[in-house]
Amino acid sequence: MKSINEQQKIIYKVCRIYRDSREDQEDLFQEIVYQLWKSYPSFKGDSKISSWMYRIALNTAMAAYRKRRAPIDYVEEFPEPIHPYTESTVPENQERLFSIFRHLNDSEKALVSLYLEDFSYLEIAEITGISESNVGVRLNRIKNKLKELIN
Amino acid sequence: MELNDLKTGWQNAGVALKNESDILKMTKIRHHPSLKRIRKKLLIETLLLIFVLVVYYDWFDGNKKPLYANLLMVTALLLYIANDIIGYISLVRPVRGINLKLSIEKYLGNIRRLRVFSLSVSFLYSIAFIIFFTSVIDFTREKRFLLLGMIVILFQVMLWSARVWNKRIKELKQQAKDLVFDGDKA
Repeated sequence: MKSINEQQKIIYKVCRIYRDSREDQEDLFQEIVYQLWKSYPSFKGDSKISSWMYRIALNTAMAAYRKRRAPIDYVEEFPEPIHPYTESTVPENQERLFSIFRHLNDSEKALVSLYLEDFSYLEIAEITGISESNVGVRLNRIKNKLKELIN
Repeated sequence: MELNDLKTGWQNAGVALKNESDILKMTKIRHHPSLKRIRKKLLIETLLLIFVLVVYYDWFDGNKKPLYANLLMVTALLLYIANDIIGYISLVRPVRGINLKLSIEKYLGNIRRLRVFSLSVSFLYSIAFIIFFTSVIDFTREKRFLLLGMIVILFQVMLWSARVWNKRIKELKQQAKDLVFDGDKA
């Protein structure tokens, strides 16, 4: 329980990139906490708690049933931030950050979130089940896609 | 915004809004957004089916119906209850693999098996009801039309149900496919 509480930012970020509405994010948050709780007895401690949490959270986000909602049309271009990136404008930049990820598919979201969290390629390979060399190839493609989206 | 900004932004993102008691509540099914509703529905449905199983023989003159109709009815009811329970267990634990790819593949396999089982049981259940109630009827032209209408509706419902399953399976298949890279294919 303490570990989940301490690492809840991981759950928050996964919810933000996999669900659009606040209500869906809240539902997914609960679902992930529930799955973490149920899976904890199988956590052997041979990996970092954060990588185990990411695996369960990403898996839940991808497998959990999504309620049908009206489709959202994403714009192709992102508005420039009103203010440059500073600590005081984190929410505004965060909104932009999460809106960029909405253009990726589910597996790309999983790979990029692990990369941005600074997991090594080996750790990403272990969490996702993709071979280490292919993690590099796929991440390069995603980085190029992200650069196009940003610019 | 550059990729490094993305990394910084990602690592700084997130808020810890929940306290430990909020988190603890979320570990209980009674606070779960969908499982509590599904569990309630399952419980009511199972109790109703057990009730039907207990009373159908007396209420609907089971003694006047042929043995095969009674056997079919009991089998269909028991299978329907089993289907509800298996479906619930599968929904409760979608995370079963040691990594994302394996877990999605296992879940997809489970959902595929569940689709076949669930559709077969629903079909058997409906047919068992029709056979039970029509087994001692003297069919007239009107009654035959009525039966035909019921069968057409049954097929429509089965078709709709199959579409819902197929849509879900298609989504999971796409996710499994996205996680398989050319070099990773078995």
